[in-house]
Amino acid sequence: MSNQTAASKDVSGKAAPTDGAELAAEAAAGVATTAGKGRPAQGAEILLETKDLTKYFGGKKRLFDAAPKIVKAVDGIDISIRKGETLGLVGESGCGKSTLGRTILGLLPKTSGSVYFASREITSLPKEELRQLKQRMQIVFQDPYGSLNPRMTVLDLVRAPLDVFGLGTKEEKEQRVAAMLGHVGMGEHQLNRYPHEFSGGQRQRIGIARALILQPEFVVCDEPVSALDVSVRAQVLNLMAELQKELGLTYLFISHDLSVVKHISDRVAVMYLGRIVEITGKHELYANPLHPYTQALLSAIPKPSAQAKQLRNLCALKGDVPSSYAMPSGCRFHPRCPKAIDLCAKEVPLLRNLSPDHQVACHLA
Amino acid sequence: MPRSASLKKTKAKSSYFADAREKFKEHRLAVFGLAVLIALVVIVVFAPMLFPLDPYTSDYFEFGMAPSAKHPLGTDAVGRDLLARLIYGGRTSLFVGLASTLISLLIGVPLGLTAGYYRGWWEALVMRIADIFMSFPAMVLILVLVAVVGPSIWSVTVVIGVLGWTQFARLVFANVLSVREKEYVESAYAIGTKDFVVLTKYILPNSIAPILISMTFRTAQAILMESSLSFLGMGVQPPMASWGNLMNEALSITVLSQKPWIWAPPGIALVLIVLSINFVGDGIRDALDPKMRI
Repeated sequence: MSNQTAASKDVSGKAAPTDGAELAAEAAAGVATTAGKGRPAQGAEILLETKDLTKYFGGKKRLFDAAPKIVKAVDGIDISIRKGETLGLVGESGCGKSTLGRTILGLLPKTSGSVYFASREITSLPKEELRQLKQRMQIVFQDPYGSLNPRMTVLDLVRAPLDVFGLGTKEEKEQRVAAMLGHVGMGEHQLNRYPHEFSGGQRQRIGIARALILQPEFVVCDEPVSALDVSVRAQVLNLMAELQKELGLTYLFISHDLSVVKHISDRVAVMYLGRIVEITGKHELYANPLHPYTQALLSAIPKPSAQAKQLRNLCALKGDVPSSYAMPSGCRFHPRCPKAIDLCAKEVPLLRNLSPDHQVACHLA
Repeated sequence: MPRSASLKKTKAKSSYFADAREKFKEHRLAVFGLAVLIALVVIVVFAPMLFPLDPYTSDYFEFGMAPSAKHPLGTDAVGRDLLARLIYGGRTSLFVGLASTLISLLIGVPLGLTAGYYRGWWEALVMRIADIFMSFPAMVLILVLVAVVGPSIWSVTVVIGVLGWTQFARLVFANVLSVREKEYVESAYAIGTKDFVVLTKYILPNSIAPILISMTFRTAQAILMESSLSFLGMGVQPPMASWGNLMNEALSITVLSQKPWIWAPPGIALVLIVLSINFVGDGIRDALDPKMRI
């Protein structure tokens, strides 16, 4: 694949020299601080912030239901993402990770709370302004098979965002598409093919090209590699990391796979049933997990040592994720927590600072 | 025919339809049906241009004659050439079938599309009206309507067309409900696509297969309806020929038992065209069925 990448970059370079230069120049000018160093400084500017963001599903009174059922998919989330960094978001299936990503982008309407993007509250913007904002905030979808319209060619798919915002003439658009496809390692000869003619990894590259062609600042990556073969995963992850450096992107990287998150993130947030239970730097989290849930997740990563096996037995999670309809009182993790005390069932633990860059929501931490 | 020409164009355009064409070719009955259909259409459309055929003038010396060299299918009671009438009758049937289907399509598809997309009160309104339309016995309703506006080829076409919208509306509605939940539709919103473009570029193209299949079956249905109406004398009016009103002659016992050349050819032609359209519809369905696709 690396051969192919080099070759297609060559092709696009010849075809559209101005475009490549333009992209690089903009990346350099716009985010010189982060793009140059690769990793952002601790005090870097905050690009995106959520304040007590909630998203509930259901709740509409139906004719024959006794009481309306509410699923609290996202329940009071405060996170902040610095410019140029990658915030990993991990949690089990159904804990609300994807819902959080979509609510931040406005693809799902929030229930309450607020989202600040570049210091501006965006969830209450009028529809048209929210639409314009898509030029700066994008998403890479989980399912490379379902997220590409089967009736559109690669050219149509990647050009669509440019069409939507009327950016450039026909030739300019096609040049930009070719250049973008070169960036993600695909060749110009593939422009007129349909999605079903490609492998999962190639499709995900198309999806990435589609998300990045508008040169957004912030990208929600919604489990972008979980549907891919393990052999292709690393390629796509490395591509995303390269593009981040090159274009100065800020990622919210959603995944249920701790090793994937460890590979790509700067900081990691752990989510359980709609709440953040722990946020800290990547190395701190893996070396010094403080929340019992994080500890259990980390111990579940298969490791070939007897000691690790012992630890795994010690921290193994009991039971299933509770029903979202009947949320446990107090700490939502207490029915499964190996260390739970009486207080855990009564009082909701708040996210508190244990060190400047390590927050945990646990009574015992 | 302009319709088949435009079909071919879209088929050549995308590989989706190229695949479908390959699958269609494997469906023998459908290929056979298509061949018969093309042959019938060619005869009906081009024969009057190439040969002098006159379905209206009486041959005063040959009333009710059996087939002969001069009149291959004989003549009717007033001496008109039955072969000419058969071919012109085919034109009528095809016209009513296609035109009324087009009317149904133009009403039903936009309504079904918007009802499935916007939901809410609009969905309730459209779908309940569709339910009301569908709870009427179609033939009785058509008879009454035609009686009110007066039977003619136009009134028959419009009435059959307007009453057929529910089939398309419900089909498209159901399809939109499933397509709108697809991730590629969400991806359209994610890049800021406007509602109208989402409908026309993302949802409609992915609803083409059921629409196309339904079109074939509806055309066959409409041809049958027109024939039934004309047979009952409530459709296309003489002297204009239609397969239905040609068979009307068979109401007389003498004709039915002793002059089969009058009613058998239009009957056979009707069965043949409806059967081959249905085979073609089956073939298209099998070729486009998304569940069979990888």
